[in-house]
Amino acid sequence: MDKTTVLSKKPLFLGLLFLLFILFAFLPLYGSVYSVILVTAIFMHIVLTVSWVIFSGPTGYISLASAAFFGVGIYTSAILGKTFPLPIVICFGALTSFCLALFVGALTLRLRGIYFSMFTFGLVLLIQQLLLWYEVNITHTRGRFVIVINNATIYYVMFAILAATILTAYFISRSKYGLALQSIGEDEEASAHTGINVTVLKTIIFAVSALFAGAAGAIMATRWTYIDPFIAFNPLFSFMPVLMAIFGGMGQFYGSIIGAVIFAYLQEMLITRFPYYYMLIFGIILVVVILYLPGGLVGLLQKWRKGDLAEKHANT
Amino acid sequence: MKKKVFLPLLMAIFVLMFLFSATVTTAPAKDKIVVGMSRPLSGPMAKIGDSAFRPVYETFVAEVNAQGGIFVKEFNKKLPIELKVYDDKSDTGTMTRLTEKLILEDKVDFLWPACGTHNIFAQAPIANKYSYILLTAEGGATSITPMLQSLPYLFISLSFSDWYQIPVWADLLAEKGAKTAYIISMADLFGIEYAGVSSIELPKRGINIVGIKSVPPDIKDLSTILKEAQKTKADALMVLAYPDAVILATKQSMEIGYNPKAFLGGPGVNFGFYHAIFGPATEGVSGFSMANRKTSPAMKELFDKLYKNKPEAANDWWGHPLYWAGYEFWKQAIEKAGTLDQKKIKDVMVAETFNTVLGPTSFKGGLMAKESHTGEIGQWQKGLFETVGGGKWPNTKVTAPFVYPKPKWPVPAPAKK
Repeated sequence: MDKTTVLSKKPLFLGLLFLLFILFAFLPLYGSVYSVILVTAIFMHIVLTVSWVIFSGPTGYISLASAAFFGVGIYTSAILGKTFPLPIVICFGALTSFCLALFVGALTLRLRGIYFSMFTFGLVLLIQQLLLWYEVNITHTRGRFVIVINNATIYYVMFAILAATILTAYFISRSKYGLALQSIGEDEEASAHTGINVTVLKTIIFAVSALFAGAAGAIMATRWTYIDPFIAFNPLFSFMPVLMAIFGGMGQFYGSIIGAVIFAYLQEMLITRFPYYYMLIFGIILVVVILYLPGGLVGLLQKWRKGDLAEKHANT
Repeated sequence: MKKKVFLPLLMAIFVLMFLFSATVTTAPAKDKIVVGMSRPLSGPMAKIGDSAFRPVYETFVAEVNAQGGIFVKEFNKKLPIELKVYDDKSDTGTMTRLTEKLILEDKVDFLWPACGTHNIFAQAPIANKYSYILLTAEGGATSITPMLQSLPYLFISLSFSDWYQIPVWADLLAEKGAKTAYIISMADLFGIEYAGVSSIELPKRGINIVGIKSVPPDIKDLSTILKEAQKTKADALMVLAYPDAVILATKQSMEIGYNPKAFLGGPGVNFGFYHAIFGPATEGVSGFSMANRKTSPAMKELFDKLYKNKPEAANDWWGHPLYWAGYEFWKQAIEKAGTLDQKKIKDVMVAETFNTVLGPTSFKGGLMAKESHTGEIGQWQKGLFETVGGGKWPNTKVTAPFVYPKPKWPVPAPAKK
């Protein structure tokens, strides 16, 4: 492809991006109420997946702490929602998750592989049980009502969090820190020898990724009206971002976005149109993707573009 | 170059998804009553939903439709019920979203309940916001009572701790001269509330609570706590937890030879699967109850209908009759209102008393009136879950006297050499 062609595609891309932005920015004005609710949920999945990919994608550290950061945001919203205005609640949710991740990261990011994954998952259960103990023994209750906010406001807040998450992920991946993270993923010891302060970098990026999950939790809580430790710290939110990223393909930055969008939308279709077969169909799709598409959907598209598939067919 | 192609592709996917999601379905024609539900068809709540409300609503809808449907004067004809069921994956966030989908996008005529007390708390404000009647099934809690005034469209069918089970249980123990009780409660809303109500009702009747232990819902070993309870020599052991923990407590009490004079476990003891698991060893074990086949001919007919060709494990002597009565009540309220207008039907449900499988049935302040209950406490006796205690209400039908002390657990026969 010559330079002229490449240059001519840039305005097209920017135009599409602008069109997309306009479509989503005005959705509450012309879309049905439910389309706003559904797109909010899909945005939430993208935020969780992309925030997971910021750290785990390049480093290869499989964190299962997403539910902990998301849950901390939810509980912050439930506790502070009746006292503070929404923007402060969202910031608190994000900062609390950031601090938690900073603390946990500093303690545990020397662990590697399965030990790190196990610890992060343990963190979800630990916080869940601690909160449960606190609610049962100190407040003598279990659940909390969350102040309800209109759907359009939730949508716009989630849209803003989504934009911030994607931009942050993009700039980190293009920065020297992104390269350093990739280098850690390939060989951590070699990275340390090149002068990268691996522990500090890992901890900070881990905490930054938690920021967005916390903010998403703080705003989503207002949609759920009632929460308790089991609702807030649902392990599902630890596994979903990982599955969505694998589904989309972790090799490319946009793979996780595609994965989250299609995965979330597919789930919506299955639980409403095939509710009695949802788990079966979903399970089959996951098995097929993991077995036959190790590069996820993006990997499949890339292969197809390169003509690999056509070649294989021709050879058989 | 790759990115030049893929980013626009990503945009295109977004746009397509968006257009697809924005599709609005048309309102259903009024040749049927569309009932929407968000139920846990998968996930950890599925086994509760499938054994509790599901068999009732499936049988109820089949029966109503076999009769041609519900007569609605406004349309001057009978309208059959069509169910629209979604799977909320046992996730409350998904449940709230699907509830709004049913109301806003599918525009269902009626909303039927999600599963579990925590979901009542989450779903009721949504139903109320859109003025949809929510007649609940699985779940109920003391802490919901103060909210009922602000949730006029919420109707709770299931009985619960102070409505009116624990006061009746305390009466039964006091009548038999029990002086002490030990409580094991689950660390969740259910356990907190039941333990809290017990801490008020038992001492009122001179029964001293010698120990309360709160345990996680997924506990796998209760033997240490049971041994501690055994040491207190408490007359009654109350295991206020969900079926898995109740079954565990029963099994481990047998293993350590702990024989309290009264054993209350619930929910769990009220299900047929409890008897199916432990057989004759259930003799004298108490639980929460509403009715059995001996309660009335109408109740016998209901249980015969619900449990025809089903294993004993499918039986539920507490929730099933209440859910059924609730929806019999709902059907009659629609017929009386002569419309599908939620507010008019809600007003009828608030004001009227209808005859259901329980007898005269009404809702007071959003709760199914305790005067409508046919029982509160049951006890396994010779393979039947007898109703041994109820309030002093007109509908109460005790089917057998309370046995106290309960027989000791059977000693396992020594292995043959």
